[in-house]
Amino acid sequence: MEISQQLRHITYSSLFVALIAAGAFLAIPVGPVPIVLQNMFVLLAGIILGPRWGLACVGIYLLIGACGLPVFSNGKAGIGHIFGPTGGYLLGYLPAVFITGLIAKKWDKKMIATVFALLTGSIIVYSTGVPWLKIVTGMEWSRTLALGMYPFILGDILKIIAATLIVKTIRPYIKL
Amino acid sequence: MTPFIYKTGNSIFHNLDTRYKLVMMCLISIGILKALFPALALISIILITAMLNIGIKPLNSLNHLKYFLILLFFIFLSRAFTTPGEPLFSIFGVSVSSYGIKDGALVSIRFLIIMLLGMIFSHTTKPSSIKSAAEWFLKPVPFIPEKRASLMIGLSIRFLPLIIELSKQVSDAQKARCADNQKNPVKKIARLILPVLKKTFQTADNLALAMESRCFSEDRTDPEFNKSGYEIKSLFLTIILVLILILF
Repeated sequence: MEISQQLRHITYSSLFVALIAAGAFLAIPVGPVPIVLQNMFVLLAGIILGPRWGLACVGIYLLIGACGLPVFSNGKAGIGHIFGPTGGYLLGYLPAVFITGLIAKKWDKKMIATVFALLTGSIIVYSTGVPWLKIVTGMEWSRTLALGMYPFILGDILKIIAATLIVKTIRPYIKL
Repeated sequence: MTPFIYKTGNSIFHNLDTRYKLVMMCLISIGILKALFPALALISIILITAMLNIGIKPLNSLNHLKYFLILLFFIFLSRAFTTPGEPLFSIFGVSVSSYGIKDGALVSIRFLIIMLLGMIFSHTTKPSSIKSAAEWFLKPVPFIPEKRASLMIGLSIRFLPLIIELSKQVSDAQKARCADNQKNPVKKIARLILPVLKKTFQTADNLALAMESRCFSEDRTDPEFNKSGYEIKSLFLTIILVLILILF
């Protein structure tokens, strides 16, 4: 039976909303800072669903989190979390997923494009998250970077490599 | 169990209309961001009473927020050390001003109270009524199909436990085969995520097929809301509380 493309997009996007939320709980223990997979799923949503549906997916995630469903890291929720110190990373997911999706769509299915898209997406998340953390908490730049960026860089590089492999392997299974 | 998960109950917070509750939560959050110490003490007393009333143990809930508390502690230290002012005492050549300590404490306490507010809301509100309220609020927003958004919220709430269960199964299956001896972190990530993604995509496909074969359409009845009768009074009290928070 032929399934309408829109319905499939809806179920896949809902799946990615759930994956992003579950990503906050899925941690791989490596070194002192465990690798949390949430931002990897955000960027994967952009690459696999494309910019428009990826944006919808992150938008829904932020909406249900702000409305009080426990989907943010460590099962937290509420509009206060978005206004809080780490809210910039969450809001940064919106441009990150859109631009990641756009780059991946432009250079269709090339591995180097996937790497470039993932890298750009990660940089966008930090470029909104770190200044937000600085402004909200009033810390100095050096402290903000030491608290909100340096501990995660190694994990992010590993995640980009892993995500590239995952995209390559999972593409044949996706019927979008 | 995290206290951010809904639990049935019959308190006034459980029975209020979710739409009013959302508006009140936003108003109080804004109020708290502007509040000073006396007002913060007042709102803390109100919130702790509310928590006891609906059955959240305050100390237990702090235990669930421990990572958040560590972050707040760092913010407090950073503010205390860097805010200029008359030095109170100095450690290792860095002077700490009383103004810095006050300022750091104010910022951290505000964030903590907003987090507790979110906890009370999540603990007393059903996910399905949050979904209905979100649909109701999205209705007047142009370019956003509220029925589709509401459907996506419903589906993702359904998918979430499935994914967590599935990833637990995959990780257990791999442990049984000694796959957790793998040291390469990239392989670790890929070997956990690939089976989970493959299986959940199949589930999503099956779901789309099931919905299509049952003639699913976005033309659905609007959600219904139960009112407890205290909505207007509570909203009025909330506005007074927010004014107190901002002015004192």
